Amino acid sequence: MATQTVDTSTTGRNIPWGLIGRISLVVFFVLFLAVPLWNTILEMIANPQLLLRQLIIGLTNGAYISLIALGYTLVYGIVELINFAHGDVYMIGAFMSLTLIGLFGLQAATPPEVRYPLMLLILVITMAFTATLNVGIERFAYRRLRTVSRLAPLISAIGVSFILQNVGLLWGYLRFPALNGVMGSNAVAPKSFPNLLPTQNLLEPLQAVFGEGFRVRFTGKDLIMIGTAVVLLGALYFFVQRTKLGKAMRATAQDRDAAALMGINVNRTISLAFLLGGALAGAAGMLVGLYNGTAVFNMGFKAGLFSFTAAVLGGIGNITGAMLGGLLIGLIAALSDQYINAKWTNAVIFGILVLILVFRPTGLLGENVQQKA
Amino acid sequence: MSENLLLKATGIVKQFGGLTAVNNVDFNIPRGSITSLIGPNGAGKTTFFNMITGLYVPTSGTIVFDGEEIQGLKPDAVTTRGIGRTFQNIRLFAHMTALENVLVGQHCRLHASLLGILALTKKVREEEAAAHKRAQELLEYVGLGRSRANELSKNLPYGDQRRLEIARALATNPKLLLLDEPTAGMNPQETDDLTRLMRKVRDELGITVLLIEHDMKVVMGISEHITVLDHGAKIAEGSPEEIRNNEQVIEAYLGRGAAAHGKGGRQTAATGLRT
Amino acid sequence: MNPRIRAGLAGGIFGALITLISVDQVVYLAGMLAGTTAGMMVAYMEPQKKWLDGLRQGIQAGLLGGLFIVIAKLLRAILINPLIGDSTDLGGQFMLGLNGLVIATIISAIFAVIATLPRPQDLIGRYAMVAILTLIYPWIDQYFQYRFMGEVIPVLVFVLMALGLNIVVGYAGLLDLGYAAFFAIGAYATAMVASPHFGISLSFWLVIWIAAAVAAIFGVILGAPTLPLRGDYLAIVTLGFGEIVPIAATNLDTFSLSILGFKVIDNINLTGGPKGINPINRPYLPGIGAFQSSQPIPWYYLILIIMIFSIFFILRLRNSRLGRAWTAMREDELAAEAMGINIVKTKLLAFSMGATFSGFAGAFYGSYISAIFPESFRFEVSVMLLCMVILGGMGNIPGVILGGLLIQFADRLFLPQLSNMMQSIISSPQVQLPSSLSFLHELSFASDFRLLLFGITLVVMMLLRPEGLIPSERQRMELHADEEPVVEQQQTEVYTARNQETV
Repeated sequence: MATQTVDTSTTGRNIPWGLIGRISLVVFFVLFLAVPLWNTILEMIANPQLLLRQLIIGLTNGAYISLIALGYTLVYGIVELINFAHGDVYMIGAFMSLTLIGLFGLQAATPPEVRYPLMLLILVITMAFTATLNVGIERFAYRRLRTVSRLAPLISAIGVSFILQNVGLLWGYLRFPALNGVMGSNAVAPKSFPNLLPTQNLLEPLQAVFGEGFRVRFTGKDLIMIGTAVVLLGALYFFVQRTKLGKAMRATAQDRDAAALMGINVNRTISLAFLLGGALAGAAGMLVGLYNGTAVFNMGFKAGLFSFTAAVLGGIGNITGAMLGGLLIGLIAALSDQYINAKWTNAVIFGILVLILVFRPTGLLGENVQQKA
Repeated sequence: MSENLLLKATGIVKQFGGLTAVNNVDFNIPRGSITSLIGPNGAGKTTFFNMITGLYVPTSGTIVFDGEEIQGLKPDAVTTRGIGRTFQNIRLFAHMTALENVLVGQHCRLHASLLGILALTKKVREEEAAAHKRAQELLEYVGLGRSRANELSKNLPYGDQRRLEIARALATNPKLLLLDEPTAGMNPQETDDLTRLMRKVRDELGITVLLIEHDMKVVMGISEHITVLDHGAKIAEGSPEEIRNNEQVIEAYLGRGAAAHGKGGRQTAATGLRT
Repeated sequence: MNPRIRAGLAGGIFGALITLISVDQVVYLAGMLAGTTAGMMVAYMEPQKKWLDGLRQGIQAGLLGGLFIVIAKLLRAILINPLIGDSTDLGGQFMLGLNGLVIATIISAIFAVIATLPRPQDLIGRYAMVAILTLIYPWIDQYFQYRFMGEVIPVLVFVLMALGLNIVVGYAGLLDLGYAAFFAIGAYATAMVASPHFGISLSFWLVIWIAAAVAAIFGVILGAPTLPLRGDYLAIVTLGFGEIVPIAATNLDTFSLSILGFKVIDNINLTGGPKGINPINRPYLPGIGAFQSSQPIPWYYLILIIMIFSIFFILRLRNSRLGRAWTAMREDELAAEAMGINIVKTKLLAFSMGATFSGFAGAFYGSYISAIFPESFRFEVSVMLLCMVILGGMGNIPGVILGGLLIQFADRLFLPQLSNMMQSIISSPQVQLPSSLSFLHELSFASDFRLLLFGITLVVMMLLRPEGLIPSERQRMELHADEEPVVEQQQTEVYTARNQETV
């Protein structure tokens, strides 16, 4: 067996793709994006009130995106699964809360002293429901696949996502009299929430300071959205960092086998991650439903992708990262709506997702993990 | 002298973050030799191996293979230049047959282009037929008969998997064959067979062999050249006889106490462990 | 369970479902499908050497399958027909059912007998049989006035795409969740060079290659950034691309480009926006003239020819050094690289080859429906294609075709038929619904249960049979090895079988 002559032309030296890629990005940026970006900045400076308004919208969006993103991050951190159905759990949360609102007969006219306690109760029931649902999904659709391959649970999750969307679609057919007509007349159409949140502008006093020209609004709705999210996120942070169960979760995320050897019940810890994620998604569903006034059966897809992007941006598996990522994605989406064009916002977010995954897959706060050889 | 060196590594350093895994190592493989790289666990052997095969890029230093610098090349480019390897923990393509595994090994020696494949030109057909024939020959050469050729590699017995990995590496037409602990987990009989195979590969095919091995019997029995690494640095180099009597090596393997007794002490320690 | 009973049951349930929901004449089609299923299955599960044994086995399975059709026909005549005003003549319905039974038995027997032939002939015979049934289908359709052709053609387009996706997912192991993007790119490329939109009217026979080439180039462009990614990250990035492409198609009706702030292109309508591009030129053949949407037969044969060529090329790829490199890369990327496989090149080739076939499909589909809309290329399409690949058996061409046919027919024929039937039952005067169930009137079973069907398919397949209905040879060998001690001969057989298939 004589050794063949090696044809070096086909296997030449390493081409510095990374460098070429970076240079072409810079060239692309200078050619196509630099001028529009500069114009946008000028536009922002020219009308600071508009900018401020978009920032407030971004903040409220960021609040709920963070809540959903945490579900992705908690689950991914422990089982390394992109729980594709998570966005749809959020959608189910919105539908559940709307159904409960109908059952309790809550309306905009309901006096506040009755309305707010009931809404809190609905929030708790919704969270409990979606949490249970999420745990059940893990138990039936993912657990057995955990050891099969990496892709099997992902594909299963896509399947669950479709099933949940269909459940949401069929949910729209529920017209029991007891529901007080919250599901409207058409199954597919978006469902309307009653106006249960206060809409008065909290910044009105500032008009006295800045004069009539000051039009920035920050309503009670915004405050409740952001406030609830902050409380829930804080509670979760405390739980994961300070409690024994939270420590077990973090240990399992680091090394599942080692955690099992230390006497941690891995299955229960994984269930716990799904439980917490589901509860937060349910809360987000209710908040968004009330805030925007609508819910529709396929709302989970877009929200899920935004939140997943947020989780990746912050560094998937990292809890603080998911909160930060959610905030940033909310702000980016709001700014893109105003300064690029609302119809391109989805593409902008997906573009960001692709760029992060390709150039910094560990995200902003993620640790740099070496690929195992 | 350098004419006779197939591989010449100079001043190789590899750092992972703050940790220096390989520190300023010079290393030569004479053409046509069987050379061994030994050292205690964590000495940096596999890291070194991975730098030769392109999995890691050395922090500094040069590796010249057959007159060409290869450090920093991608693994496939290194393989194409004539370095074939096996893995410490077998990495066969589990759901491909033994024959297909060997065919994959020939990948970089086949030249069928996309259009040739789609049109199935005569040249491509002949090349495929020749590749199948050579794959069969290689399987037989390492002692896997025709009957095993169409079995999924994951269903082969452990020893056969090791042989198949060698056949697959040989299929890349290497000038240098890198074997990472080829006898790990084998019984004495299998170890002997495999040692014979390694010698056969060198004697009959003229392929230079570099071996990482823990089994000292194998290393001492087969190698003409031994390099010893410890804590990422080269501590000795020479013929098996020289290495056997090298104080530093004994110290590295058995600790300071044993070194004082020299060769005798090492044997005592070893027998002491056995009883 | 006895293999004959199993095969008969499978064929029978299949045939009975079709019979239950459709009008009289479809019973012949149900018989054909039930017979094919039963015959193929029984021969596969219980191979016979003597033709007489095969005949007996085929008849038994076919009879059992046919029996289900008869029962289904009678059930329909008794329970459903009175409600929807179809024939309630039990004798006539029974005779129709018997016809179905006879056809099922004959076809099942033929398949089972063919399977007793020695190795190469049995495969040739089986494929020839399938080919004959496929080729004569338009006449069956016309003779019995099924009017299914309009649905059969898009079904085949999607099967073609599933075959392309199979290269990426099944062979190379790269989970692509945005594959519909390449379908869109192929279709838009076609629309731009063969329609009044830009006033360019190239011949379809040229355009289809342009579409494939453009799709292949985009395969490389969109594949390149994903190279460093593995597994689920790759899936998400491809999903992102799969979403960006339709968004771009929707919004690029006003396309402006500035370089350094200077407008180079101002407000060009590139894609026709949400309304899409319409009309697109049809293929033209001397002797047939321009293809018409009212004449499905030329379209049917055209897509069949494209499919056969595609399968032919895919098999060649699969059995070449490139196909082996894909499999090796899927098994162990690092080891593959160490064996001299250039991962960058191999991955990009997988993406672009996969995209090529989607490009063909896009060109054909665009010119078949003579219009394209961004909405037809959404995530759902990508997932449906993935379902098709997984259901049949990843990496296995017959499996992918079967999975594709099942899902597509369920989606395009079975569910709409079922919902028609349910609607006519609910709205018939004999049925009085209580007011709490009145929403059933609005329920359209076709679109309201599609997602559920896909979802359940994916989950159940992953849980119960992740290798698919017809697993690829590799997986089959693996299963055999686990069950039976004597594996060598079988494996050799299977392996030879695969080599034969490619000849």
